[in-house]
Order: sequence, then structure tokens, then C-alpha cells
Amino acid sequence: MATYLDCNATTPVEPSVAKLAARFLEQDYGNPASPIHDYGLFARAAVEHARAQVARVVGARPDEVIFTSGATEANNMAILGLAQSALADGKRHVVTTAIEHKAVLEPFEALERLGFEVKILPAGADGRFDPQLLAAALRPDTALVSTMQVNNETGIVQPLAEVASILAQHPAWWHVDAAQGFGKELEQLRQPRIDLLSISGHKIYAPKGVGALIARKRNSTLPPLQPLMFGGGQEQGLRPGTLAVPLIVGLGEAAKLALREREQRLEFCRAFRVQALAALARLGAVQNGAEAHCLPHVINVSIPGISSDQAIHALKEVIAISSTSACTSHTRTPSHVLAAMGLSFEQAESSLRLSWCHMTPAVDWERVIDILQQLRKA
Amino acid sequence: MNTLFKELEEATLEQFNHGELPQWLADPVLEVARNPQQYTDKEYHVEMLLAQVLEYDVYAEAGCCKWAYDHEDIKRTLRWLNEAQNEPKGKEG
Repeated sequence: MATYLDCNATTPVEPSVAKLAARFLEQDYGNPASPIHDYGLFARAAVEHARAQVARVVGARPDEVIFTSGATEANNMAILGLAQSALADGKRHVVTTAIEHKAVLEPFEALERLGFEVKILPAGADGRFDPQLLAAALRPDTALVSTMQVNNETGIVQPLAEVASILAQHPAWWHVDAAQGFGKELEQLRQPRIDLLSISGHKIYAPKGVGALIARKRNSTLPPLQPLMFGGGQEQGLRPGTLAVPLIVGLGEAAKLALREREQRLEFCRAFRVQALAALARLGAVQNGAEAHCLPHVINVSIPGISSDQAIHALKEVIAISSTSACTSHTRTPSHVLAAMGLSFEQAESSLRLSWCHMTPAVDWERVIDILQQLRKA
Repeated sequence: MNTLFKELEEATLEQFNHGELPQWLADPVLEVARNPQQYTDKEYHVEMLLAQVLEYDVYAEAGCCKWAYDHEDIKRTLRWLNEAQNEPKGKEG
């Protein structure tokens, strides 16, 4: 099997997370909404424990965590869930950035169809949006600002501290898609000005199918979210449906480990990065986005003279990599992120994303270099 | 593992001495904290117990949303911790 270097698409599940999730599938399978016996009571206790574990990562209160099926649902809940309140307040202006995941951009398109005016901020070659452009874009009727924490394709950390300063005196709701940074880049998400945070389990070694929207209270009140689904009172009425206890418990355990093992994970990823950068440099690879702002477990490069498709195919026995986000890699459309950063079509077509984690085994970089050099000669 | 039990002991003493954790609840929790060898395969429950002690609040169930843990939560977790190994709920898998 090739070595898996696509951890931004999804991470492997931590063994202790899998073990705990299996226990709640096989043995402790009660429904937390049925706390009339020990099965239900234990399930409820486990869910509340997980809620606290998730909240702790970002310095939130447990009752600010709303479990969802993942970051996509959380993004939709945040963006579309605020529409009704914004319209009632006569606010029809919303702002986001060109490098967001489709799970943010497409809900914004939906807002546009509802009559909202959408402002999309551009990004620079460094892979970041310019907070000053946000400052210039804000209006009295701006209802919502949505900015990601870490870009999924480039690994570039966005300037959230600057956004917090800009929004300090503005009442707009601020949503941050933190799918790629939650549990990895910790300080940014503890910024109390952030109203809404979307997170995903399967980017931090928990199973797929679970995530959360963390909705911070203002003056002891949750943001005025409206549910997108109906049919039960779970999750404070915002996300009805039986809670996926094994997945939620897994997310909680993964959140705990993200805090407890952060330093060891970082150390491993940095050491791995040194090797990856050295190998890619020998191929003349050009990094997409500024290294100074890049998380240590991911890199996006363009390798002149080699198309992404050729490289991925030629390397498939050695390393498993991607060229763009997992959610759009099947569409064969050029990356909207790289385009927004000003890359040419050719540069985007030769881009590769390598992403690893603390569980990634060693890579035979000499073989990787050899295969790509052969490809260039062909 | 030992760190977990140490944390449980410290948190319990803190809540007993400076918080509102009553002695009738603190005593059995300290019994767990000071006997880690009896709970080596029950880390998940002990973690849960630690969280409940740290967030203990007499009025946890008051108001619209549960945001802390009360004596009933801690009592239940202690019961699960001390139930026989072969019982299905509340036991380590």
C-alpha cells in the first residue's frame, strides 16, 4: 500500500477513538434521549462528557456545542440559520472570502438567492485574505462575516486576530469554518469575538459523520439560529434527530487527545515536513501560499512541467496524495482557491497537496523524486 | 493513568475544601482516586468522574440548559464504576 499523505481529506482514526466508538456501538448502545434507564443515562452522560471535551479545546461552554454530522452541516446551520434573523433586522449584506470551502460558498449562494448581497473578499499570493479589505467591506447592514481558519487546500492560517480587532466594534455575526484547524491551531479559536465555529471529527482522528457547530453566547444568549431540520428537540432544538453517540464519543476522545498530545504531534509533523520540503526542493517545486503561515502537516506545491494527474497516477504505489480538496477533486475543475490566489491555469494544473499526521509512516522520498524526475523527462 | 487519578484527587479536594462538594460525595470519589489499581481498566469512567467533579454545581439542573454536573451525576458515575465487570452498561469495553 502507498503511504497515505492525504490527511487534509481525512485522517486515520486514532486507535483509542475507534475502541471507544466500538464500545458505544456494541455494548453501551442506549439513546441519550431516553434517560429512563441506565442505557439511556449512560449514553447521555457520555454525550455530555464529549460536549465538554470539545468545548474545552476552544474555551467555550459545553452548552455552546451543537453536535452535527460534520463541518458541512455546521457551516450550513450557521450561515443559513442566521438568515431569518438578519432579514427580520433588515440586514441583507454578508461577507465571505474567495478561498472558503464549497460548504461555505454554496450556502452563501443560497443566501444570494434569498435576496442577500454577498461580498466575496479576494486572496493574495500568500494564500490569505486581506483583513483591511474586510474592514472596507463592512456596512451597517452587514449581518454575517464568514472566514475560514485554515485553508483546506494550502494549509495557510488566516488572519483571524486581525478580523477580531476589525469586528470588535461591529455587531455582525462572525462565523469561522475551523474544519482544518480545530485541535491543531488552538489559540486562534479561543478568541471570544468568534460567534460561530464549525468543526469536523474526521480531520482530527475521529470517525467521519460527526462534527459540531460551536455557538458562543453573547450576553448569555445563543446567536439567533433557526433550525434547518425539524422533528425533535435535540441539541437545543437546533439539530433534531437521534444523537450519533458512538461518533460523538469518538469526537470527544479525539478532542481530548488533540489537547493532550499536541506537542508530540507537532514535533512529528515538523520533522516530517523537513524531509518533504527537502525532497520537493530537489524537484524545483514552488510552494503555493506562504510557508510562514502554513501549518506543519500540509504543503501545496506546483511542480513545473508535471501535471497533477500525471504525478498522482505515477506515484500511486508510493504515496497517496491529492491535487485539490477532497470535496471537489472528482469534478476536474481547477481549484478555485489557487485561482483566487492568482495562480495561472498551468500552475494550478500542476499543483499537489501533501498532508500527513503523527501516524504517518516514513516515506521513500528518493523513490518519489526518481519517479517524478522520470516523468519530467518523458 | 496515574496522572488521571492524581488529578481526580486534587480536583475533589479542591471542590470539597473550596467549592460545594459535600463530604458524603467527596469521600467515595477520593476512594476511587486513591485506589487506581482497582480501576485500571476503567479510565473512561474515571475521566468522566473527573469532569463531573471539576464542573460540580449544586444547581446544575436549574434553568433551561444543563451546563454543569450535580450530585446525581456523580453518584451515578460512581455506581457505574463500582458495578460488576460483566454488567453491560457503564463498564469498560
